[in-house]
Amino acid sequence: MPRPDHHGAAMLTRVRIERWTPYMFLAPAILLLIVFRYIPILLGFEESLFTNALSQVGGRRFVGLDNFLLLYEDPVVWQSFQVTLVFSLVVNPLQVGLALLLAELINQRVPGIAVFRAIYLVPLAISINVTAIAWGLALDPNYGLINGVLRTLGLPRQPFLIHPSQALWSIIGIISWIGVPYWSLFFLAGLQGISSDVLESAHVDGASSLRTFISIKLPLLRRVIAFVLVTDTVTNFTLFAPVYLLTRGGPQLSTHLVMYEAWRRGLVYGDIGIASAIISVLVIVVIIFVAVEFIVLRPQH
Amino acid sequence: MHQDSPSDHDSARGFRLEPATITRLRKWRRYALLYCLLIALAILILLPIAWIIASSFTTRETVWKNVLPFSWRAFFPTEPTLDAYHAIFEKDFGRALLNTFFLGAVTVVVGIAVGAMAGFAFARLQFRGKNLLFALVVFSFMIPGDLTVIPSFVLVRDLGWLNTWQGLIVPGLANGIVIFLFRQFFAEIPQDLIDAPRVDGATWTQVFLRIVLPISLPAVISAGVILFLGQWNNFFWPLLVAPTPELRVVQVAVSIIGVEQQVSLWEQMFASSTLAMLVPVLLILPFQRYYVGGILGSGLKG
Repeated sequence: MPRPDHHGAAMLTRVRIERWTPYMFLAPAILLLIVFRYIPILLGFEESLFTNALSQVGGRRFVGLDNFLLLYEDPVVWQSFQVTLVFSLVVNPLQVGLALLLAELINQRVPGIAVFRAIYLVPLAISINVTAIAWGLALDPNYGLINGVLRTLGLPRQPFLIHPSQALWSIIGIISWIGVPYWSLFFLAGLQGISSDVLESAHVDGASSLRTFISIKLPLLRRVIAFVLVTDTVTNFTLFAPVYLLTRGGPQLSTHLVMYEAWRRGLVYGDIGIASAIISVLVIVVIIFVAVEFIVLRPQH
Repeated sequence: MHQDSPSDHDSARGFRLEPATITRLRKWRRYALLYCLLIALAILILLPIAWIIASSFTTRETVWKNVLPFSWRAFFPTEPTLDAYHAIFEKDFGRALLNTFFLGAVTVVVGIAVGAMAGFAFARLQFRGKNLLFALVVFSFMIPGDLTVIPSFVLVRDLGWLNTWQGLIVPGLANGIVIFLFRQFFAEIPQDLIDAPRVDGATWTQVFLRIVLPISLPAVISAGVILFLGQWNNFFWPLLVAPTPELRVVQVAVSIIGVEQQVSLWEQMFASSTLAMLVPVLLILPFQRYYVGGILGSGLKG
């Protein structure tokens, strides 16, 4: 250890110590991310190769890819993948489309718009779980607010969450109450980033608002749209709370989303192996989505 | 709406209107349409919330009174009583609130420290492996945290952290979005502000603590709001790792009142939901600029 007995040595010591400074600044964050974000991904893959179902004799043992074979053969798991596919194909384009329209609406410069923007932010603060409980009460087939309003209007009572043909749609509606205003913020920022010259010249050329929106604004927003579509999709793959709280996957497995099935297998039946196999499939799908996004959104220089 | 305002066709067919008048009427029609939409959406957002709050001041007997048959009173507490609140506080809802405030406070303080340090290194320091480590941060927030809840549960169980504070807190301390946010903010600090103390011999730690942090209040607030909301609204993770009543958090407490009872405790569901949503709503409104800026930074510049 060199002693800082004259100026040059002190400088040298400082340079040596400072070579490690960046890593000291980074260590807590990087270690925490590796241990609690990345190791679980690997652990999920590892656990998917073992069985430890409570029904099995002999506890945890290595089974190779058997869990994936079981997934493939299990009709309930298949159902959960199918429900998730239908759900994803509906909820994500729906939320992106409505969020774009909402962003265009709150991008209008009219008096009082700031008040409306603030109101539309409110759902973002409310947890998906409270939203689910609140809308679950509002959609109650016997007492709910919505059926009360429908009856006042002379319309027939709806079963909503307790009917297989309406339950998934009800859940899509419930989560969109948060999702649409949330994603619209990204589109609003994108719209505000469009230079006014471009819009001005479209206006001079006599383009209608609709035409300007479709031919000018949408193409300019394509990076934001791609980002939101991917992020919304991978986030919605993990949807759990509304299913857990409101439908328990039913009626007739119509809302049996894949994260609920993973939780049921892993935490209710204690079969972490099967649950991890389900999660591993989902992780691979998510990584593919995110990788495609990285490639599409790579800055073009 | 179309009946209210003359369209181009009307004017062409008979009434000869000045072009200026037509422009004004068109503008007026556009405003009317816009405000109708804006108000309809505001109602869609505010009425359910008003209904939840109003219903939280009812009793088991009166909770549905104004819904069937439906009346406007459903949205206003006309005969308010605190029975439902008394009932949930007897079930230790107060402890859940305190627990969650504590969790949120620790996460905000430590999470800001961890995130700001990392953000500073990425924005201002040169070192080997920077791009790789930064990719690790960005990728971590592209993968939703709830995706790996089950393997994370296995990890925390194997660490012996089930039903402990550290099991609830530690996995959420490093937040990729918060690191990213600080990096963006620190990158825009003028070079001179940092060079001057460096020339005078200040260490990077001194520059970080004495120069950079004091001028970074906006980023600190954004990060704090994001971290607090994340903890307050977290449900899946505490449901799995801390089922013990001593560590119950507010979202789990709401769900237990909501679904895990044999009888439906309607008015208590309304009361607990009201408290669970009021805290973050009251937090987000004064800080909306910081919150919006924080979440947008993750998407647009990334």
